[in-house]
Amino acid sequence: MVLKNMNDLKRLVDGGPRKKLVLAAANDQHSLGAVIRAWKDNIIDPILVGDEAEIHSICSSNNYDITGLRIIDEHETEKSVETAVKMVSGKQADILMKGKIGSATLLRCVLNKEWGLRTGNLLSHFALFEVDTYQKVIAVTDVAMNIAPTLHDKIAIVNNSVACLNRLGYTMPKVAVLGAVEMVNENMQATLDAALLSKMNQRDQIKNCIIDGPLAFDNAVSLESAQLKGIKSEVAGDTDLLLMPDIEVGNVLYKSLVFFAKAKVASIILGAMVPIVLTSRSDSEQAKFDSILLAAAACR
Amino acid sequence: MIALKKRHRIAVAWAHDTNTIAAIAKAVNKGFIDAVLIGNPSEIRKTCNDEGIDYKIFTLMEADNESHASTEAVRLAKEDKADIVMKGLIGTDKFLRAILNKENGLMLPDAVLSYVCALEIPAYHKLLFITDPAVIPFPDLDQKIAMAGYAIEMAQKFGIEKPKIALIGASEKMSRHFESAVDYSIMCKMAEKNQIKNCIMDGPLDIFLACDKQCGKIKGVKTPVDGDADILLFPSLESSNPFYKGLMLFADGKIAGLIRGTKKPVVVMSRNESEISKYYCIALSCLMA
Repeated sequence: MVLKNMNDLKRLVDGGPRKKLVLAAANDQHSLGAVIRAWKDNIIDPILVGDEAEIHSICSSNNYDITGLRIIDEHETEKSVETAVKMVSGKQADILMKGKIGSATLLRCVLNKEWGLRTGNLLSHFALFEVDTYQKVIAVTDVAMNIAPTLHDKIAIVNNSVACLNRLGYTMPKVAVLGAVEMVNENMQATLDAALLSKMNQRDQIKNCIIDGPLAFDNAVSLESAQLKGIKSEVAGDTDLLLMPDIEVGNVLYKSLVFFAKAKVASIILGAMVPIVLTSRSDSEQAKFDSILLAAAACR
Repeated sequence: MIALKKRHRIAVAWAHDTNTIAAIAKAVNKGFIDAVLIGNPSEIRKTCNDEGIDYKIFTLMEADNESHASTEAVRLAKEDKADIVMKGLIGTDKFLRAILNKENGLMLPDAVLSYVCALEIPAYHKLLFITDPAVIPFPDLDQKIAMAGYAIEMAQKFGIEKPKIALIGASEKMSRHFESAVDYSIMCKMAEKNQIKNCIMDGPLDIFLACDKQCGKIKGVKTPVDGDADILLFPSLESSNPFYKGLMLFADGKIAGLIRGTKKPVVVMSRNESEISKYYCIALSCLMA
């Protein structure tokens, strides 16, 4: 079961029950459009928490018809996030989305020890790309959240991502642990981590996926490149998930795909009680919408 | 043991003990070595007489003390007057100092000094090569890689083209808390990438998975070694040493071992090892020369 593009992602959620999405600090020009579009497409049932008057004002200037949409009036930003998060922990919402508030503030509430959304797992960023020049969608992690993940972190990041892919219908996603080279080099931690993760997968300590690495980027995505180098790998050329060595290369890859390869992208945060949509102002309208799709598909 | 074609020349440092002299004599009489015994000639002659050995089958060379005997033996090897160097009645530390000497020693450039032995036990269906039960106390990754290389080399000399090497631990699980498990996982990936060659490698594995054919099936662990290991690589001297000694004591094990990393084979045995063990080591050194 493989997703070729974002349309396939949409097909996963079409016709299914609408997921409840709570938008924290919903008086936000940048996120309302995508939320309302997803609502009109019957993907989600939104709950908007924020300054009600401002919400109405934004909607009327954009000609959004929000009749019947549930709004909880809350003027203070931090309070609106707290309310939104508590709705999730109170099982009244399936997805949390960021509105007019900084990511750090939102995540601080998510991680609140009393009423937050902690599961004991590491939070990690998961991005799904549709690129013209690759035969299917490809997931990349972690390009925005964990700066310099240790082996322990990488295990958590892989587990988060694989569980998400399992929910998208992938029974045994192929995971490529990226490095600059495909040989083991004692001076390159990425290649050593790849060896350790491969062994853990072999011993069924990391389940429900096939892990290989180190693989260089070309070997991971191009069977021809891999064959030219004489690489024998179940994953090479057929990768579903790219595990990045650190945030710098991850972030650069993410942005290269968007700017140079004109890729479509959907991103969510994994590891909390529910998927979290953390779009930024620089994301395209399509990316925001696709992220909501991904969150809806990734719900349990 | 395999038939040997050439008569190798062995230099024995401080060849004063009975077991060493008797083992050497046996090998000389079997026709596969010529021996130079370095030490106190009159003492050597006396021991020979006591054991009924004809000292004239050897060349005797005088040395003042154990250290001098060691450096003389190494010198003979360096000058190509000997093919093999053997330790006699000397402490291993003193003897190895001569081997390790920077200007006049016998080390290959940048080589790791290590030890591999071949172990024969009735309970196992073939020879088991063990490393490193004598030299490196806590091998790091590079040392483990060198140890694997030496063991593979030795197995190949015994005719095993692509030996199965089990990297031994207490469990088959990878854990970042065990340096050995981390090193083993890296080595396996290197073997997969042909960075460690000529072997079928897996680890971490416990002894059962390494040497018992039923275990893999019972535990549901897939491993290419699968109870058929040729080589066992241990995480420390303190694990490998009691292992081989336990097998000698309780399982009728016989061993022959050799120092590796040297320009010429070096035979080091415990001063109290039997004559037959020393004889096997001599034969092994000739095989590896």
